[in-house]
Amino acid sequence: MAQAIRKISKRVPDQQEEQAQATEEIMRELTENKEAVLGAIQLMKGLQEMGIYDALRGMLENRTEVGAIAIQQINQPFMHNVIKNGMNGAKFLGSLSPEQTEKMMKGVGLGLQKMAEAGQQEEPQSLWKMRKKLKSPEIKASIAAMAAFMEGLGTAFVQPSQQEQDKKG
Amino acid sequence: MNKPDFSIEINGKSYRARPEQTVLEVVREENVFVPSICYTPTLGSIQTCDTCYVSVNGALVRSCVTKAEPGMVVDTESILVQEAQYEGMSRILKNHELYCTVCDNNNGNCTVHNTVEHMGLAHQKYPFKAKPYAPDNSHPFYRYEPDQCILCGRCVEACQDLQVNETLTIDWSREVPRVIWDNDVPIDQSSCVSCGHCVNVCPCNALMEKSMLGEAGYLTAIPPKILGPMIDMTKEVEPGYKEIFAISEVEAAMRKSRIKRTKTVCTYCGVGCSFEVWTKDRDILKIEPLEEAPVNGISTCVKGKWGWDFVNSEERLTKPLIRQGDEFVEATWEEALDVIQEKLGFVKEQYGPDSIGYIASSKCSNEENYLFQKFARSVMGTNNVDNCSRYCQSPATAGLLRTVGRGGDAGTIHDISSAELIMVIGANPAESHPVLATRIKRAHKLHGQKLFVADIRKHELAQRADLLVHPKPSTDIIWISAVTKYILEMGWEDKEFLQNRVNGLDEYIKSLDKFTLAYAEEKTGLSQETIIQIATMIHEAKSVCALWAMGITQHKGATDASTAISNLLLITGNYGRTGTGAYPLRGHNNVQGACDFGTMPAWFPGYEPVQDASVRERYEKAWGTPLPTEPGHDNHHMVEAMQDGRLKALYLFGEEMALVDANSNFVQNAFEKLEFFVVQDIFFSKTAQFADVILPAAPSLEKDGTFVNTERRIQRFYKVMEPLGDSKPDWEIFQLVANRFGANWNYKHPSEIMDEAASLAPLFAGVNYERLEGFKSLVWPVAADGSDTPLLYTESFAFPDGKARLIPVDWTPPFQAGADFDLHLNNGRILEHFHEGNMTHRSKGLNHKVPDVWLEVSPELAKERNLEDGTLVGLTSPYGYVEVKVMVTDRVKGNELYLPMNTREDNEAVNYLTSSYHDYITHTPAYKEMGVKMQVLEQKGEPPLPKHNHRYGNRVPQISVKVEEKWSRTDFTPIDEMIIKGDEHGTGYPENQQKSS
Repeated sequence: MAQAIRKISKRVPDQQEEQAQATEEIMRELTENKEAVLGAIQLMKGLQEMGIYDALRGMLENRTEVGAIAIQQINQPFMHNVIKNGMNGAKFLGSLSPEQTEKMMKGVGLGLQKMAEAGQQEEPQSLWKMRKKLKSPEIKASIAAMAAFMEGLGTAFVQPSQQEQDKKG
Repeated sequence: MNKPDFSIEINGKSYRARPEQTVLEVVREENVFVPSICYTPTLGSIQTCDTCYVSVNGALVRSCVTKAEPGMVVDTESILVQEAQYEGMSRILKNHELYCTVCDNNNGNCTVHNTVEHMGLAHQKYPFKAKPYAPDNSHPFYRYEPDQCILCGRCVEACQDLQVNETLTIDWSREVPRVIWDNDVPIDQSSCVSCGHCVNVCPCNALMEKSMLGEAGYLTAIPPKILGPMIDMTKEVEPGYKEIFAISEVEAAMRKSRIKRTKTVCTYCGVGCSFEVWTKDRDILKIEPLEEAPVNGISTCVKGKWGWDFVNSEERLTKPLIRQGDEFVEATWEEALDVIQEKLGFVKEQYGPDSIGYIASSKCSNEENYLFQKFARSVMGTNNVDNCSRYCQSPATAGLLRTVGRGGDAGTIHDISSAELIMVIGANPAESHPVLATRIKRAHKLHGQKLFVADIRKHELAQRADLLVHPKPSTDIIWISAVTKYILEMGWEDKEFLQNRVNGLDEYIKSLDKFTLAYAEEKTGLSQETIIQIATMIHEAKSVCALWAMGITQHKGATDASTAISNLLLITGNYGRTGTGAYPLRGHNNVQGACDFGTMPAWFPGYEPVQDASVRERYEKAWGTPLPTEPGHDNHHMVEAMQDGRLKALYLFGEEMALVDANSNFVQNAFEKLEFFVVQDIFFSKTAQFADVILPAAPSLEKDGTFVNTERRIQRFYKVMEPLGDSKPDWEIFQLVANRFGANWNYKHPSEIMDEAASLAPLFAGVNYERLEGFKSLVWPVAADGSDTPLLYTESFAFPDGKARLIPVDWTPPFQAGADFDLHLNNGRILEHFHEGNMTHRSKGLNHKVPDVWLEVSPELAKERNLEDGTLVGLTSPYGYVEVKVMVTDRVKGNELYLPMNTREDNEAVNYLTSSYHDYITHTPAYKEMGVKMQVLEQKGEPPLPKHNHRYGNRVPQISVKVEEKWSRTDFTPIDEMIIKGDEHGTGYPENQQKSS
């Protein structure tokens, strides 16, 4: 004979037992990672002394407010420009061909070297001498390259920007 | 005759195309990219997104509605085409802000995201414009965010023409169009049945599962105060979409490590929907159906889509419990198994193997049912094993076994959707088999399928029927036989089919003598004209599927009524062809599988009789034990045997027998007499309250296995998470118990159990887990080479001579409770809850929609007895008493009541009223044959059905999304016109240039 019953006696987990098990696990991890733990404690101690923990706690407890202020600060034209310029810079670097860059950098290096050498010469540079130098193939190549560069630069100035294009479209 | 394939030219290359295919379908099949936001294979072309423009023979056309034709020249790459597609996409992005990285829909499957990315769109042509509508968060399970809605109309198409609930429309007449529910009411107060179709098909984040919001992404839980400026800043600084996508791709990839997607099969009704479950640890983020799911595709219902909270319920059993005095005490598995070994062993020794009964679960897997019957038969030495098909479809199985030879549906859901005529007799698929019902509603709405319904209750399909008849309760066999007789008299039978494929015609015709139109009219209350009308409908249809459920099978003459349906189908030749056959709709996810895999007193797995010595020998050899030779007790017999002391102990798993078996008082009283009772369940059920040992089991999401759906389709489900607490999968528990009785089993995985079953039961010869991997499925019988049988009887019926058998049957008058019990008590399911609610009542959202059970009362009876919504009444039958609140509805008529079974409360559950009378052949209880008397307890009260239930809603039927209304707006310019006019650069292909100049 078994009547319907609803009562369930749950075996409440022994708190002490559970605690002992947890402590054991923690101690095992601590001893196995002694160096890392001690290092971390040193670091934490430093941060504590500097008052950084308090500041972090304050920020954490008010994270929504702090986050809103932070994002507001970041979401400003100045920061937009910083980010955009950063990205444009990266894009620029990405667009350069490494061989060309190498060549140019080498050229710049040699140019600097020559410049330094010229500065050390005691003999004054006469216009005549300089005109004569213009005939050298190195200088001609350099001036031609400069002219080509300026042409490219000018093209970008003359063409409307993408944004302007969008507005028109 | 099928037309032959042909070739078309796409971008200068030749491709194969089939007749009836659209250009879009061809390019998709060939992996040629053409954007298409509103199109899905299931929903077809909606024509709202305007992104799928291609050039065909020089003209810009929507590829989704342009049929492929031989010799066609298609171009998807020219600048002109790209401009058209770009324009379409730009118009979409005017309605949709791309903040993908902080969007919960950024999971790699967002159609809008993927399309923009694939098209390589760099910039937005038209600025995003917010809509003047607030998000609708009213519904417990999903929300609509108009600002993100691109007005593609997929949701409307799915609601109108796939689910066919007809709740959603797009109001194109407003200045700013949007999706509206009913006549623009909050979602929660609309006719929305929460099926989830709209959310499933949304190509972006406009319609989202609330369980995903703030959970799916790494950054999506950020408070709006911070999120708003973050989105603004991202848009401000990012040079183009490409960079946004780079970050969002990384974020989506990161999500893969924390969102687990696991294929599963639904654990509610017998339709067998399969889908992915998305989880984060134990949290269920969403149910995601996929096109490749063989039964449901992208469809779900309210329970399958949302009803999974029970898995994490705090009320789950997590430790074994042992009865000690007047309480259950938590125990270890070893302690519980010790008790079972000792007590069950004692009963077996003392009273013999047949003094123990074993009740299996149609919620559990095939492997678990197989193992349970093996345990009962081989280890414990008895055939006393049964499952809950005894409460529902055993009469249908019996009726089919004796007429056509197989106890299952004749075909699949695809036959149901392609039949010319659907007969629904005593079934309410729209609530009990919702996804299956959608296929009927769709075929009926769009493809001219005829729908005939015979029911005493005007449920949804009844409301939609071309012909609805309301016979007197328990008289279906009479009108069915009269219809058959009339068809024979008119010479409308399929003579050739009968001649070649059917036995017993003459004797059967003789047996119909009494079923004249006049007799039928007198007994059923249907007019002779109506019966002729039914016969004519069947005669005129080239293919007929008959669907039935508990309205036929829960009667004293249930097997005969099922047989009569099968006879009618045989007479009219409606077997063995696409779109024909008998479909008893299975009620549980695996009630078919439980029967198939042998938890039946007279059958081994695969329906081989236990009395057949050669079959027995096969199993004895494989299992290494002698086996009992005679059929054992079925559920009904077991209760009787408990009552008279022959059955001393019971082992039951996953079955709420105390509330679900008929005549609950009698059943519970029988439990009280048991000497030892083991209940294995995921919850502390009513049945468990009578147990001596309760074992905590694991639901389908916590284990591997297979289910068989109503179509006979075997599908695999995968473990999503670990069993909760100390609970265990049922098959593991059986192994532990069996090994206590010396079985020495060592199954490591359910696949090994399936391999064993397949090696023994010829019906499943070719079934194995590899063939069922992922969304693959097999419809039995499965031959050793793995070929399966979606449509039965195409060549022969399942008898030795291959011929079907017409079986003469007669009417069994129903149980009459007596003159005092003047109201007829009908009972059954409702959409939102499953059975007694052990699972669904753990869901807050489902309880929000339907918190309580109610009694449906007709307007006539309400007027006569002064009842209104909320009146509390007491119902008394000869067997018990319940108290429930009234809802007045014209779904029921006259003195017929409807009391859903979805409650766990002792004073409400309908089976305290039902009797132990039963089908005289299968012993299925006659649940549907009961009279009650009513007394009013409190005339006024709060209505039990809250106003935010779909039953109060107001459907707005229409075909699709009415895109013509969009096109006729003054602000709409057709893209082909615009692009061709604007083709000033002359950059199109030569033929386009010619056209545009």
